[in-house]
Amino acid sequence: MSIVAVYNIKGGVGKTATSVNLAYLASRQGRKTLLCDMDPQGSASYYFRIRPAKKFSSKKLLRGGKHIDANIRGTDFPDLDMLPADFSYRNIDIALDDFKKSQQRLHKVLQPLQEEYERIFLDCPPNITLLSENIFYAAEFILVPVIPTTLSLLSLEQLFAFLDKIGQGREKVLVFFSMVEKRKKMHLDLMRSTQNQTGLLQTVIPYSADIERMGLYRQPVAAALPKSNAAQAYERLWNEIQTRITS
Amino acid sequence: MMPSGPDTWFIPESLRTETLLAALATEFGVDAAPEYAATVTYADSFDWRLYRRGYILHCHGTAWTLYHGDSGAVTVQQGGPHLHRACFAGDFPPGSLRKVIEPLLSVRCLLPLATVSLVGRQFRLLNEDEKTVARVVFEEQRPVTGKTVYRMLRLFGVRGYDQETVRVRLLLENNGLTTPASPLIGFEEGCRAIDRRPLDYTSKFSLQLDDSLTSRQAMVLIYRHLLTAMQRNLPGVLEDLDSEFLHDFRVAIRRTRSGLSLVKKVLPASVVASFAKDFAQLGRITGPTRDLDVYLLRRDSYPDRLPAALRPGLEAFFDDLVEQRRKEVKKMAQVLRSKKTRTLLNKWRRYLASEDAKPAAEAKTPVDQLAGKIIFRRFKRVMQDGLALNADTPDADVHRLRIQCKKLRYAIEFFRTLYPEKEIQVVVRQLKKLQDILGVFNDLSVQQDMVVSTLEKRRGNTHRDLEIAAALGGLMQSLYEEQLALRCHFLEIFTRFSDPENTALFTRLFQSRK
Repeated sequence: MSIVAVYNIKGGVGKTATSVNLAYLASRQGRKTLLCDMDPQGSASYYFRIRPAKKFSSKKLLRGGKHIDANIRGTDFPDLDMLPADFSYRNIDIALDDFKKSQQRLHKVLQPLQEEYERIFLDCPPNITLLSENIFYAAEFILVPVIPTTLSLLSLEQLFAFLDKIGQGREKVLVFFSMVEKRKKMHLDLMRSTQNQTGLLQTVIPYSADIERMGLYRQPVAAALPKSNAAQAYERLWNEIQTRITS
Repeated sequence: MMPSGPDTWFIPESLRTETLLAALATEFGVDAAPEYAATVTYADSFDWRLYRRGYILHCHGTAWTLYHGDSGAVTVQQGGPHLHRACFAGDFPPGSLRKVIEPLLSVRCLLPLATVSLVGRQFRLLNEDEKTVARVVFEEQRPVTGKTVYRMLRLFGVRGYDQETVRVRLLLENNGLTTPASPLIGFEEGCRAIDRRPLDYTSKFSLQLDDSLTSRQAMVLIYRHLLTAMQRNLPGVLEDLDSEFLHDFRVAIRRTRSGLSLVKKVLPASVVASFAKDFAQLGRITGPTRDLDVYLLRRDSYPDRLPAALRPGLEAFFDDLVEQRRKEVKKMAQVLRSKKTRTLLNKWRRYLASEDAKPAAEAKTPVDQLAGKIIFRRFKRVMQDGLALNADTPDADVHRLRIQCKKLRYAIEFFRTLYPEKEIQVVVRQLKKLQDILGVFNDLSVQQDMVVSTLEKRRGNTHRDLEIAAALGGLMQSLYEEQLALRCHFLEIFTRFSDPENTALFTRLFQSRK
């Protein structure tokens, strides 16, 4: 049982591609896996061709229990289920505010799901909000894809500062480089200069047209093109993460 | 929640797969997976340890697959040994499959049950987003023992798409799929061909008795049940498949002998005396092999008892035991295969089917009266022996208490269905705790005896002999210490067994039945 949140303050760093592929790879090991799409844009849901139920909303998500059960959908892959996002998630902070211990609501809602699912992945929206705080509280690991650019690394600093502020340990954070272009000197330079970053994973996910095209074939790249460089990189990443996951 | 499990139907002979697919295609996109075909052999232990836990295991060459029987979901797939006659969990390479089956099978071997040839194809049913909303599998199963081909269709719902599952079911029904089928029909029919049926054997004694029976009728049913257990285990004993066949065979003999000695005046005394003697003999000749089995089953745990320097001698000792067992099994099998044994079992079967010319005095007594009397008498005896226990009681007396407990347990098990199940469970649980500790105590005695007798027999003074002697010395010490520690423990457990509450329960259940 473990909850992995895929998160970055910045958008467009490959969060959804990461969640979708890692969740798929986890399920392929025969472990019941749930991917929760927390992003109101619903990209992860789109990749799995899943539309949210008409009556689902952020309020129902936060109520939990049978409201969530009724909205979990099986994907095209055995052992991989998904909780699709709803557009109402864009105002989820307002809904969260109604709860006591509003930073811990998501943790409470996800707890019963851990009986059914061995692995839960959260595909998070790019911002720092009350929802992010909830996510950091609930997750065992915060997996942060970072493009080797100055701005991206800056956002990582912001994340650490925020974690310190809310009293969450930095050791939850696992960082990896995403969308890396080997021909860009800046990428390589920045990667070299951040070798000693805490929680930095060795695996690098390259920039890949195969990943970009996931929107066309609407499947994890690891399922559609298992032999591709991108798929193999995700597999290495998942293997490396698993060595950190204790349970 | 999930739509209730997969559904399976027979496909009528006249109905073509294409027709069904065309019907499904009117409402769903249909995506075909490649056809699969394999001849698989299903395997389980003689007492269905996997099936009992909802698992189905089959192999195709050295490729093994473990399923959940109900959902058909594959749990683990892994390479393993070839299954010829039998194989053990320990023959599998370490991995997730072995991790699941090893604790379930324990010392029991896997036996081939049914071999079935499977041909099938999965189709995904898609909505307008080309998202899978249900799966159907067409499959043909043919047990290789017969000619019959079972054609079936299985429907697997996808979570969150209940309405679609309902639609598919309706489409199938409207197109002629109306007869539900067991998805394991090939397996079940294949088992039937070798005269097996899932869960048709358990080592537990379970026989439903009715309180309208006379004592003789009830005892005849019990003896017949036990005789069947002996006969069913005998082939496995002779083939020496795993140690449990012999164990169960011996337990059935012991239960029979217990019945003959505990239940008096229900069968004529001359009959009882003659069969009691013959079954005692049968028990005796199977004893040495069982004692060696008990030792060998612990082979892996023994080295932990000794310092590393003494371990090589232990290995040599065990190698000798294996050799000794080989000889014992041969001797035992000779007797078990003999005409004398066959005659005994047949004669007993014939007797149990006959009537006594001169019925014994208690033959017509209602069974519930008899049962209470016998159980309560045994209980009193256990109490009497148990209360005499103290920390210095000789091993032989502890052993006697163990035998008394066993007799009480057998008596309760014979007649348990005549009493409220809940209360019997309480009684048996208490008794079992006591038996467990006495059993361990006795095992430790037996093991020490074996060490002593081995040492007496070994007279050589080669290096190997000395190594063995040293290891056995160390072993003896370790066994003795463990046994000593147990002593204080069983006094405590007996105190709990004999507490007023448990005594009152025994008295109420069994004494008031007079």
